[in-house]
Amino acid sequence: MILLLIALLQVKAPDAAQFVGAPHGVALQGAALERRTMEVASLLRCPVCQGMSVADSPSTVALDMKAQVRELLARGYTEEQILSYFERSYGEFVLLKPKFRGVNALVWVLPLLALLIGVVLVSMKLRKLELVDGD
Amino acid sequence: MPFAIGTWLACAAFFSFLIAGPANPFLTIANPPPDGPGPNPLLQNHLLMIIHPPMLYLGYVGMTIPFGFACAALLRGRLGHSFLRPLRASLLLPWIFLTVAIMLGGWWAYEVLGWGGYWAWDPVENASLLPWLTATAALHSAIVLERRGVLKGWTVTLVQATFLLTILGTFMTRSGVFNSVHSFTQSSIGPTILAFLAAALLFSVVLLALRIDSLESDGRIESAASREGMFLVNNLLFLILTFTVLIGTVFPLVAEAINGKQMSVGRPYFDAMVVPIGTALLFLIGVGPALPWGRGTREEILRATLPPLATGVVVAAIGYAVGVRNGWTIVTLLFGGYAAHVTLKEMWLPVARSGTSALRRGRRRFGSYVVHAGAVVVLIAIAVSSTTRTSREVRFSRGDSASIGAYTVTFLGAEDRAEPHRQSTIARFAVTKNGRAVTTLAPRMNQYATMREPIGTPDVHSTLAGDLYLSILNVDVAQQRVALHLIVTPMVMWIWIAALVMGLGGLLALIPVRRTSVILTQSAAKGKDLEMADSFGMTS
Repeated sequence: MILLLIALLQVKAPDAAQFVGAPHGVALQGAALERRTMEVASLLRCPVCQGMSVADSPSTVALDMKAQVRELLARGYTEEQILSYFERSYGEFVLLKPKFRGVNALVWVLPLLALLIGVVLVSMKLRKLELVDGD
Repeated sequence: MPFAIGTWLACAAFFSFLIAGPANPFLTIANPPPDGPGPNPLLQNHLLMIIHPPMLYLGYVGMTIPFGFACAALLRGRLGHSFLRPLRASLLLPWIFLTVAIMLGGWWAYEVLGWGGYWAWDPVENASLLPWLTATAALHSAIVLERRGVLKGWTVTLVQATFLLTILGTFMTRSGVFNSVHSFTQSSIGPTILAFLAAALLFSVVLLALRIDSLESDGRIESAASREGMFLVNNLLFLILTFTVLIGTVFPLVAEAINGKQMSVGRPYFDAMVVPIGTALLFLIGVGPALPWGRGTREEILRATLPPLATGVVVAAIGYAVGVRNGWTIVTLLFGGYAAHVTLKEMWLPVARSGTSALRRGRRRFGSYVVHAGAVVVLIAIAVSSTTRTSREVRFSRGDSASIGAYTVTFLGAEDRAEPHRQSTIARFAVTKNGRAVTTLAPRMNQYATMREPIGTPDVHSTLAGDLYLSILNVDVAQQRVALHLIVTPMVMWIWIAALVMGLGGLLALIPVRRTSVILTQSAAKGKDLEMADSFGMTS
């Protein structure tokens, strides 16, 4: 299955335009291109490794994906476009930073909600403990 | 004590049952291979692998002891002052092991996995961190409980949660449900461990519910802007951190159960969530001990909290001057400098006041500040190393050179070497720094008979200022070509050193101090409890 996806991807790679449209950003080169390549690749999951990012993995698939990221950045595609390009091929599984969408939004909301509840509880507790003092 | 022993034996009985039944390691298999597969290659090639697992084991299993004390206190309904001392001592010892073990695990990953980092927010890494977080929270809330008589139920709950998280962690590592580089075994014991986890959780909750009346606070807090107030904030942050890491770790399973789609929660998520909380905790390491106990006047509070700010600003300015530009790292340096000032002052004050005898008497206090000093350095080193590292990928033919930072690396050649268990290709590089020869590094690529993909072993030149890390991407001996990942990471070594300092600080705080007459009179009424406390050496 994964091999099939990779094969498909190889075919698609030249015309990313038909999937995510024309490039929205500025074409990068040189050191800036290398830096952005690593940054964007660190947001993508290597599909054949165990939890490693494309930036970190030495596997062939990851190296290919990194090369694609580099090429797309050089052609002026934005991070968002590149991520959705890979998401089309591999599904949400490939995104290491889950999108704020559907069920997945919960992973962002729950800790914040917990923090909110925690702050309320702690301030209530503090007030209660301070009140004892006033009596 | 009988209840505590009962709880420990119940846990031991479960794990004995696991070994005797579902996970029996001594079963004969139908078709034994002539030679076993041996351990996973990643576990074969580093010395740290001998030290890290037993330390982690002691940390994990040791958390059963405070759990037993907590349950015994609840079962007997004896939740006076005396139950705290054995509880904290028995919590601190496994905490020390776990602290050092987590550091050793990160160091191993750094030396072996080849991507130049030490923490990837992998499920198994998170499993080791979760009980550490709640144990750290419990060690802090126990101090407020001792000083102010508040947070009794809370402290007991944290101790129980720590134990439950070690069982959850065992499940995460052993069940094969989680996708991890560190899952080296896969077996069918998952459901059995899950059943035990459920039983232990139920037991803990029921016990707490039964004793809810005796868990009422018998003390009070005078002001929120006090040291005890900061302890509450500390506990809140540690708990939110635990919750966030837990949610991030198990969420892919939950999401898949809900909508059937696979998704990932990886490093970018954890970095985004954990960095702010970690920075806030660093702030508390500074401001907490600076604030007075009880109610201070406005002037007192300002006089205690303002001067360290100067140190923070100086440290942040030094960071900026040497090229740190990341906003979070600058804030970390600011808070880190602040916290270092407060910590060193708190360590120095008793000595200045009454000489070295203060160290002997206040060893527990001194030890905790040593832990704080270590934690400050660990947090600064993590922030600096993760935001200022530089890396490049270079293709070499024999004789080629490439520069990264102050280093120049020259490819001397590659050779094959046959070993009984693997074929290795070793590439040798001469390393010079500012033109002076420093060392020769030899990263290698290993092909194991039992593995399809080759496994690289990086080579590292470590200095206190920073590390040069070479990791092979691919290598061709016939053509004498190599593609190499070069990484320069400042300050990494400080993480290992400072985590060891944290462990040593813990030991200092653990070593019993000779009893003083004050405590004797305090405890005289509770003779029996005192005996128990003494046998654990916890008097302060």
